[in-house]
Amino acid sequence: MKPRISIVVMVDAVGALSDRTLHNGNLSMVDDSSAGSKHQGTPDLITMVSPGQVVQWTPIHVDVQTPVEIQAIEFLAGAAAPSPADQTGPPYPAEPSIVPVPGPGVDAIGSNGRENHDLLVWEGVVPYDMTPGVPYRYRLSLRLHEGPNSVLHIDSPALLRV
Amino acid sequence: MAQQHGIIVLFDVENALQTRSLEGNTYWFDNMKLFGSAGVGTEQLVTIVPGTHFLDGSQATEQVLNWLPAALGSIPPTVPRNYLAEQERADDRRTLEELASLSDEGGMSEASLKRLQKQVGKHPRKSGSGRGLTDAKLLDVTGKTTSDPGAYNYPAPVITDITGPAVTEKIMYPAQYGSPDMIYDGWYWAATVDTSRPGVYRYTMHIQLHELIERNDELVWESVDLTCESSLKIINDPKRNGFTGAGLGALPLPPVPAAG
Repeated sequence: MKPRISIVVMVDAVGALSDRTLHNGNLSMVDDSSAGSKHQGTPDLITMVSPGQVVQWTPIHVDVQTPVEIQAIEFLAGAAAPSPADQTGPPYPAEPSIVPVPGPGVDAIGSNGRENHDLLVWEGVVPYDMTPGVPYRYRLSLRLHEGPNSVLHIDSPALLRV
Repeated sequence: MAQQHGIIVLFDVENALQTRSLEGNTYWFDNMKLFGSAGVGTEQLVTIVPGTHFLDGSQATEQVLNWLPAALGSIPPTVPRNYLAEQERADDRRTLEELASLSDEGGMSEASLKRLQKQVGKHPRKSGSGRGLTDAKLLDVTGKTTSDPGAYNYPAPVITDITGPAVTEKIMYPAQYGSPDMIYDGWYWAATVDTSRPGVYRYTMHIQLHELIERNDELVWESVDLTCESSLKIINDPKRNGFTGAGLGALPLPPVPAAG
C-alpha cells in the first residue's frame, strides 16, 4: 500500500470563470492511487483509498499566471442511506438533502492581512472507521482570483475505501 | 507556488526621450494586487511576493517573476514582429500600382506625383558611423508610412539588465530567456525569488530606448540607455493544514456518506 495518494486538480481558470462552471472540461482531476481509481481526468474522480493513507489535494492552474486555490474540501453527509456495514441507519433527517459536514473553517489570512489560500495544505489521513465500498463524495470549492463570483464548486468527486 | 507574477512596465517613450529620464514616464502593473501588491498602475509599484514555509521550516514557495515591457503609442506587442515589414511591402505595392495607373491614364500631373512622393515616406538609414538599427520605412501606429517625425512608431523598449539590492542580496535571480514566441522578439526577462528572507528589496531596471535623429541628412536610430526602479515586498508565512488548521489529522468524513 502506498503511504500517500496525490490528487491533482487541474483548472482552466479563464474557461471556468467565463462559463461560471467547473464542468464543460474546465476542470480535470487525476490521482496516483494504485488500487484502480475511476473516472480519471474528469470532475467525477473516485479515488480508491485505504485506511492510514494520507490523501493530498493539489491545485494546478493551466494558465500559470492566474491564481487558482482550494477554498475548501467538505465531505457530504447523506440522509439515511443504509450501507452494507450499517443496516440500522443512524437517526438522520429523512429528507435526502445533502448537507456538508461543517469544517473547522481554517482561516487563510497571511501575515499582511490578505487572504492567501496557498497557505493551506489540503491533506488528511483516511480514518479506519470509513465504510468500505461506499463512495464518500465531497464538495471541492476552488477560488479563482477574488470577488463575489470567484468561488466555484463541484460535488461529484469521491473517496472510496477498497 | 501560488502563481507566476506578470509585471508589465509601460513606458512613455517620447517623454522619456525628451527629458532623458524615465522618472514620471513609467507605469508599472502586476497581477498580484489580490495578494497585496501596492501602487499598481503607478511608478511606485511594490510587488508582493507571498512566500510560504512548511512547519519544519523548509521553504515551500519559490516565486517566479516575468517582466514584459510595453510602449505607449506603439504598435501593440501582441502583433507579430514582421508586421512592420509586411506593412512596408504592402505600401510599396500600392505605390507601384498607383504609378502604373498614372502612366495608363497618360497624364502625370505634378500634384499626383507629389502625393505619391509623400506616400513613399522617409527611410531611416544606417550611416557609415551611425548605430542605426533599421533601414525600414517610418510607419505610424496604424502601420501606414509617414514622414511626420511626431507620428512614427518607436521601437519597443528593451530591458538590458536588472540590478540592485534585490539582486546583490540574492533575493532574486533574474535572467534573460529566449523562446520561439513571436511576441517580445522571443526574448524576455524572468527571475526566481528566494522567499525565505522577508523584507522590501529595491531593484533597478536598465532600459534601452531608441531615438530617431537626423545626421548628415540621414535619419539614424540611436540608442538611449536609462534606468528606473521598483521593489519587491517579500513575506513568508507558515503552511497550515486546510482541514485542521494546524498539523496533519484524519479526514473529516461524515458517519454516513451522501448518496449518489
